[in-house]
Amino acid sequence: MAIDGLSFPPAALPPESEALRAEVRAFLAEERASGGFEPICDSWMSGWSPEFSRKLGARGWLGMVWTKEYGGHERSPLDRFVVSEELLAAGAPVSAHWIADRQSGPLILRFGTEEQRRDILPRIARGEAYFAIGLSEPDSGSDLASIRTAMTRENGRWVLNGRKIWSSGAHMADYMIALVRSAPPDPQNRHAGMSQILLDLKNTPGLSMRPIHILTGAHHFNEVTFEDVEIADDQIIGEVGQGWAQVTDELGYERSGPERFLSTFPLVTALVDKLRHHDDPAKRAVAGRLVAQLWAMRQMSVRVVGMLAAGEMPNVEAAVVKDMGTRFERESVDIVRGVLAERPATDSDDPFARRLAEAILHSPGYTLRGGTNEILRGIIAKGMGLR
Amino acid sequence: MAMEGLNFPPMDLPPETEALRAEVRQFLAEERANGGYEPHCDAWMSHWSPDFSRKLGARGWIGIMWPKKYGGQERSALDRYVLTEELMSAGTPVFSHWVSDRQIGPTLLAYGSEAQCALLLPEIAKGNLFLAAGLSEPDSGSDLASIRTSLLPDENGKLRLNGRKIWTSAAHLSQYIIVLCRTSPFNIEKRHEGISQVLVRTDTPGISMRPIHLLDGRHHFNEVVFEDVEVDPDQIIGEPGNGWKQITDELVYERSGPERYLSTFPLIVELANRINRDGGTSAQKAALGKLVAQLWTLRRMSVRIVGLMASGKALPNNEAAVIKDLGTRFEQESIALVRSVVDARPSKDSLDPLEVRLAEAIFHSPGMTLRGGTNEILRGVIARGLGLR
Amino acid sequence: MSDIRDMLVETSEKLFADLSTAEVINASEQGVWAAQLWTALEEAGLTLAAVPEDLGGAGGTLGDAFAVVRVAGRYAAPVPVAETVLAGWALAGSGLKVPSGPLAIAPVAAGDAIEIAKAGESWTVSGTARHVPWARHADHIVVVGDGAAAAVPRGDCRIEEGANMAGEPNDLVTFDKVRVDAGAAGPAGEGIGPDSLWVMGALGRAVLMSGGLERAFEHTVRYTSERVQFGRALSKFQAVQQEIAIMAGEVAAADVAADAAVAAAEAGDPTYQVAAAKARVGQAASRIAGSSHQLHGAMGFTHEYPLQHNTRRLWVWRDEFGGEEEWAEKLGAWLAAAGGDEVWPFISGSRAGLAA
Repeated sequence: MAIDGLSFPPAALPPESEALRAEVRAFLAEERASGGFEPICDSWMSGWSPEFSRKLGARGWLGMVWTKEYGGHERSPLDRFVVSEELLAAGAPVSAHWIADRQSGPLILRFGTEEQRRDILPRIARGEAYFAIGLSEPDSGSDLASIRTAMTRENGRWVLNGRKIWSSGAHMADYMIALVRSAPPDPQNRHAGMSQILLDLKNTPGLSMRPIHILTGAHHFNEVTFEDVEIADDQIIGEVGQGWAQVTDELGYERSGPERFLSTFPLVTALVDKLRHHDDPAKRAVAGRLVAQLWAMRQMSVRVVGMLAAGEMPNVEAAVVKDMGTRFERESVDIVRGVLAERPATDSDDPFARRLAEAILHSPGYTLRGGTNEILRGIIAKGMGLR
Repeated sequence: MAMEGLNFPPMDLPPETEALRAEVRQFLAEERANGGYEPHCDAWMSHWSPDFSRKLGARGWIGIMWPKKYGGQERSALDRYVLTEELMSAGTPVFSHWVSDRQIGPTLLAYGSEAQCALLLPEIAKGNLFLAAGLSEPDSGSDLASIRTSLLPDENGKLRLNGRKIWTSAAHLSQYIIVLCRTSPFNIEKRHEGISQVLVRTDTPGISMRPIHLLDGRHHFNEVVFEDVEVDPDQIIGEPGNGWKQITDELVYERSGPERYLSTFPLIVELANRINRDGGTSAQKAALGKLVAQLWTLRRMSVRIVGLMASGKALPNNEAAVIKDLGTRFEQESIALVRSVVDARPSKDSLDPLEVRLAEAIFHSPGMTLRGGTNEILRGVIARGLGLR
Repeated sequence: MSDIRDMLVETSEKLFADLSTAEVINASEQGVWAAQLWTALEEAGLTLAAVPEDLGGAGGTLGDAFAVVRVAGRYAAPVPVAETVLAGWALAGSGLKVPSGPLAIAPVAAGDAIEIAKAGESWTVSGTARHVPWARHADHIVVVGDGAAAAVPRGDCRIEEGANMAGEPNDLVTFDKVRVDAGAAGPAGEGIGPDSLWVMGALGRAVLMSGGLERAFEHTVRYTSERVQFGRALSKFQAVQQEIAIMAGEVAAADVAADAAVAAAEAGDPTYQVAAAKARVGQAASRIAGSSHQLHGAMGFTHEYPLQHNTRRLWVWRDEFGGEEEWAEKLGAWLAAAGGDEVWPFISGSRAGLAA
């Protein structure tokens, strides 16, 4: 394929990755059998289990690509991909460590101080330290560059004031990495003057939190307020003013993973299970179409990981996978609904009905989180030279 | 429901229209039985029959609302609506007289001179005379106000028409063409001023035409070139400079009519026939039901608008745009849905009518959301009507 | 619309706006019965609008009753407005007096059947009804069986509480051979039965949805006009305008479809018009729910912001009394059995010029 700005070079998973896959599957099978977890939709957002995270850590399945010096396992991004997709396809409860392992850890590895690396990374890798993200603010959603939470120099110290919103898991996490202004806004250069800082969520005077309930009443998100919070120099990740560049990097990691099309996979498998008792070839065809789309998207995602493994930054391709994948997640819910008219209910005895209810109730989020799809399409258009 | 820009007041067609509907249905049944026509998808844009047009004309079914002195029947907009939807749903070959009947006739009546009306309308009404509308140009599609075809006096004071029109439907079958042109130079602050419509015979010296073949090889559209075509002032329609108003008034009618959702109806009929013949799967029945549910709704919306228009109370521009956007997207989606539930090899040469209808529909599908204003533009109109722009 | 209808709608709008607030809806989700709202509705004669006066109602038409239902849908009213209309239809249609107070209707779940049998001068009601909306708060649960209808006092039923995805009561109701007096039960009237209940129930849901999705759309237009990012209101972005324009089409289509189906119900057996409406409105509800959330961003996903009052109910109502697939299949099967030439007469609502 030769489209300007868009390239998905072939990538294959090596035999070592397949061997690893077998191990992960065996582990998951044991866990399922012993009642360790129930597969749920959106498990990477709503399945919080420190116990499960620790088990993964113990098997070396967190911090996989980091250096051993910091508790990592020096494995390839392709290995990490295999573990992630197996966990997500199984609807396993991975949300406690998800952000830490996916983006906070890599950020600290790249830009953190030696002390941060030695202190924090091994704990993430063991599944013991959890992170939340501080990006959006009440007046800054899609327009992230307009954030106003700011730290200013006062008497030789940094003092932070402001508020972050939609921070998933902040009420249970240990740390937050927040993007804040470290210099006043400059209309000529909107992306300058921001830094990322490391915050101890459990132990910081002036930091307070209030829950934000999603429409089901469940508590995942939080608003975190900073009132005259003192920030030490060593809490700044990398250099002052580097914040925007760091965040853009992170978004590349965040956007391309299998969680961007596997959130409703447990629903699809539940559908296929149900269809064993149905004769209708048209219904089977619908299930077949869903799986065909998933198969194709996974191929694209594998190729993006291949590019990451080769040291590239496939921002546009990651945005394509995220846009397509999350749109698929959203559409899959209505498609499944159309095939089997079961009453969706979170308290049903029927796992299919439970999965369908979860998927419906969470559906607004798929195409909003990690950057709304409208914004992503703008990135794709720009990457192709249309803007 | 009463939202600004979105008002579809309840309306039913009066019982008086039933008699006309019955007549049309009986005529069509006879014609079908005699092989007078075959139903086709998108027939109104692609199939013509001079014979069929004359037969309609003989029954007074072209120009049905026009004054009797011009060959019309002076019947109501509601009667015309019923006539139109019966002809559309049956997939009849009305292409050659369509534009004349729907758009040009009303323009002449509203803005044309007595002489123009007397010359043209009776023959149009008989189905003998066809007029085409020259609007779009190579550089002026969605932005029609940017046209460059000009009608200006030469050094001897004689009016000359110069320019080029494109996508001109049925111009090759028409004896006349109404050309949208500039009679005053373009003024960026008053882009809609200085535009006029002028009536020219297609056999006038200086006019040349070349066919534009669509992707199925068929010839419906043309490019028409005007080189120093001599024009008399009495060929201008209405006031010079009033052209923009003349064409925008027509758009409401053009946008909300049954042709905006019935283009693929013959395909849907074949789906029903196939299920009837073969028993049909659940998925096929559900697809048919879904399509009919959408059509039933679209038609009800369209009837409500014609009520508004007939009463003369308002020109429901936004509502017409809504119907056009919704209806034409429905037409395109109907094709995908039928395809997904039937085993069919679309082909114009098939012996299976469903496969022929499917091929017609597929080939014509790109045009459905482009003609009559692209849907993107229409959604802009809707957004404006909602107060967003 | 008639003057009476206009007045009903105006009165309903004011009443629901005042009393079906976000606080009331949230409290209802926590189990608090919206007593003030219900009482006000009853006192204004809005709950039994289509029941003849001599049977306890306001003596209006089905269209009047559904006009109120639509407003209830707009305001996500946490009271059994539609269910009481259905109950009134079943009882009054069987010549039975309709009791005051909130009414539930059963059965509502596919496959459930309740037996209503004559026992001397009175009747007995037996069976189980799943997912009955509002049963625990109803004064009576009105049951439609094969050949009979009955109004069973709630206290005589066994109720196991449950909820739907919108946080509304959906209870399991068991009738253990409950005795019902002659005045409260009787042979089903003409056209009243479990099948027609399914049709009228679907109609009620289509009407509720048409109101609810209109409100979700209004929220969306307002929110995108107020929310500023990148220096301008979201509604100024072309991508946003395009999606809102598409939503406008769905809102209009839903309103027209539901309204046309109500008109068909007033004129006779509306089975296939209801099928068309339920399928079409369900389709619109899905599109509107998705788009309204997308255009609201994260804010719309919260419990706090009122969009979810409408969208969670759209997700529930589209499934109740048969989803789009079921009704589309029913309509398609009926049309196909008649043949391709019958499709246009159905759509045009006219058999003029055709063999009867």
